[in-house]
Amino acid sequence: MTGVNGARRVVVTGQGVISSIGTGVDSFWASLRRGACGTGPIKNFPLQDLYITIANEVRDFDPRERCPSKPLMLSDRYSQFAGAAAIEAMKQAGFAGKLEKGERAASIIGSGIGGLATLEKGYEDLFIHKKKATHPLTLLRTIGSSAAAHVSIEYGIKGPCFGTVSACSTAAHAIGLAYQMIKFGMVDIGVAGASEAGITYGAMRSWQAMRVLSPEGLFPFAKRRNGTVLAEGAGILVLEDFEHAKARGAKPLAELKGFGMTSDAGDMVNPSVEGPTVAMQLALADAGLSPGDIAYINAHGTATTVNDINETNAIRNVFGKDAEKVSISSTKSMHGHCLGAGGGVEAVACIKAIEENFVPATIGLDEPGEGCDLDYTPNEGRSRDITYAMSNSFAFGGLNAVLVFGPPPA
Amino acid sequence: MDEVATKIIGILKKNMKEPPETIALDTKLSDLEIESLDLAVIVFDIEDSFGIQIPYNANEEVQDFATVGSVVDRVRALVAEKDAAGAAA
Repeated sequence: MTGVNGARRVVVTGQGVISSIGTGVDSFWASLRRGACGTGPIKNFPLQDLYITIANEVRDFDPRERCPSKPLMLSDRYSQFAGAAAIEAMKQAGFAGKLEKGERAASIIGSGIGGLATLEKGYEDLFIHKKKATHPLTLLRTIGSSAAAHVSIEYGIKGPCFGTVSACSTAAHAIGLAYQMIKFGMVDIGVAGASEAGITYGAMRSWQAMRVLSPEGLFPFAKRRNGTVLAEGAGILVLEDFEHAKARGAKPLAELKGFGMTSDAGDMVNPSVEGPTVAMQLALADAGLSPGDIAYINAHGTATTVNDINETNAIRNVFGKDAEKVSISSTKSMHGHCLGAGGGVEAVACIKAIEENFVPATIGLDEPGEGCDLDYTPNEGRSRDITYAMSNSFAFGGLNAVLVFGPPPA
Repeated sequence: MDEVATKIIGILKKNMKEPPETIALDTKLSDLEIESLDLAVIVFDIEDSFGIQIPYNANEEVQDFATVGSVVDRVRALVAEKDAAGAAA
């Protein structure tokens, strides 16, 4: 029933994903298993004078097909991704149409930058083409709360509904908050995660100016790593109170055992080691687990010089001698850096890893970087008994969020 | 010290919290307190002032940024390249 302090167990009853290596969980996971890479030349808009010309764009996505309702079909690409992923997740969870007890459900769906493509087009129309008006839906498409609202409308979700915003930790924070709401009895169901479709000409110019993108590719933990590669995507989970799921005969995919969040209070771009260390420790404590219980860590692993060494050191801090035994990988090597959506996409990777006892690889890891001396599952995925998995998100500004997943309760 | 060097040293000082009295050409950039995004901002300022593009990746050890003098040399070369391209056009 309920545990200590009335805390309830939270399970995952559905998941949905949109990524550069597959639309839908089956396609995405198959790609992860075989080490497919979604990085390629940018095709969604004219490159003009960009010198970084690669990204992980979503290819196989037709909104007319994936977004059945008109409001969703007419929304910004970021909301379309979120809606499509939510639809996949809710279908798997066994929900169609409006929820019976909408007031006992939450929709917590964030985005790093929201409807950037809409905003950019709106500004182009106003400032360059001197149009008399922007499209009436411009504002609604742009704001970062729209995806959560669209999903709430699709399913009659009448409880808490909003978006989280925390750069690369956005999705993990959304999932963590929904988990806490269910755990402490506020709601029984939470549709949670994030979506990102922020690869535009303007965005690329802004990212170029930060000098952290690689012109070659995303090679986490490698000696040759020289920056990250931007991706589009969405990762959404249906979280549910275990008893509620059991009562309606739903089959959980996994249990969300723990969530930890901290801030570095350090620098806007360079991470500290303490913040990520404590976030992992808090997530483990929340899950009631020891570091040695974790078989797989899906790393933040952005392939910047600073993150990968800092994350390695933080993992060593937390895991001690068990650091040598845990399987680690950065699936960003395959699906790219989905920014706000990363934690959601990577949660799906963790849940599948537990389900199939398979660690997806860090591809492109030809030679490990200095100080990067843990087992990052280089180049080829491998079979391994995975009971518990951890997913790390360490964002700009030092915003850290860690999730721990386990098998479905017996 | 020519105009290019003076301008660049001015930009460095402008973007430092407590700039030293004198910055010499052989001063190592790592000895100046330039942290985090400061260097990206300095590069941007230099690019804007001289109308050039400086290839620079924050993840790589760039020889161009070893000393103030090496930055000045690189900028001079890029300006010359730009002027030559303009003249040829």
